[in-house]
Amino acid sequence: MANCSICSKQAIYVIKSGGLALCKKHFLEYFDRKVRRTIRKNKLFRKNEHIVIAVSGGKDSLSLLHYTVNLSKRARMGWRITALTIDEGISGYRDYTIKRVEELSSSLGVELKIASFKDYFGYTLDEVVKISGERGLPYLPCTYCGVFRRYLLNRVAREISGTVLATAHHLDDVVQTYLINIFNNNWSNIHKLTPSLTSIHKLFVRRVKPFYEVLEKETTLYAILNGLYPSERTECPYAPLSFRWQVRRVLNYLEESRPGLKYSTMKSLMEATSLKNVASSEAMTCIVCGEPSSHEVCKACQLRAELGLLELREVKT
Amino acid sequence: MAEETSGIKVKVREFGSGVKEVSLKNRVSVGELVKSLGYIIEEYVVAVSGTIVTEDYLINDGDEVVLYPVVSGG
Repeated sequence: MANCSICSKQAIYVIKSGGLALCKKHFLEYFDRKVRRTIRKNKLFRKNEHIVIAVSGGKDSLSLLHYTVNLSKRARMGWRITALTIDEGISGYRDYTIKRVEELSSSLGVELKIASFKDYFGYTLDEVVKISGERGLPYLPCTYCGVFRRYLLNRVAREISGTVLATAHHLDDVVQTYLINIFNNNWSNIHKLTPSLTSIHKLFVRRVKPFYEVLEKETTLYAILNGLYPSERTECPYAPLSFRWQVRRVLNYLEESRPGLKYSTMKSLMEATSLKNVASSEAMTCIVCGEPSSHEVCKACQLRAELGLLELREVKT
Repeated sequence: MAEETSGIKVKVREFGSGVKEVSLKNRVSVGELVKSLGYIIEEYVVAVSGTIVTEDYLINDGDEVVLYPVVSGG
């Protein structure tokens, strides 16, 4: 049984690549130091910021909401915090997770805004997936979900006057996305994998990742220790269908045999994003909906058009 | 690291799932137990009898082991 390298109490966590064992108290201090370093180094939050936190109700986003609210009390920077939940409309899944967000927001005294696919797009994700299947479109449910969710997060964060949008993406998420984009030779997306994505368009809300340097195992531990780990296991029924699911499994296998591999992959990403010749897509305005886009028509409108959910006459003039 | 005993039984519960009883020939570490169940230790935080432990923790007869999945979809 490992003992804490700092105080000799029973350890709950071992940083294998660093040869350091930590008890509960010193793990929470380590976690806090790590996140604060990311926030400070990358200037994620400024004074009097209206921080909109994207909260799905999973352990990571509940942890981010909990952590940021507590940090706000210590930092006294005049932050206003709002939790933003996107209800995609996935039966038997999202209802449970929304309940968790409502409970935590209420206990922390934080405003909560819920925006649904149904309200903004006219269809739930379940309905979209059904239509996609009927039309024989080649997309996985996660493609629709990811594109529509990112679209709504930005749009609603802006509508509620958010000055920054924080997501709970952790190191595992970032490294997985990095590898997926390498496989797809998509360097313009790799360019965006930074802790802070600054305004590339006047309608784009600055997007930040405070857990950028934190492993998923560490956010899980933070959630358990703070009573945030969901009491019922609810998993998105579409998640195992995604390519990310496979990449994550492979990475975890590799990390087990080569501890520190995720950190070294992250270093590789940092090198890549600092390269001046890495392509970055220019910010454009979607000619259909007027939202920020990398192309003439944004991905959300392109998918909706392919689904037959968008009339071309809706094009803005 | 396995330790010779006359055999032990532990209850294992993956969070959100049912409990199963696992018989072991010897005392084993949490890491070895997780591996023997076909899981990757990277994907679990483990608690034994209500306390979070590291993977080198040696399981005792009658212990209740809870596996908290790190990986979640959503």
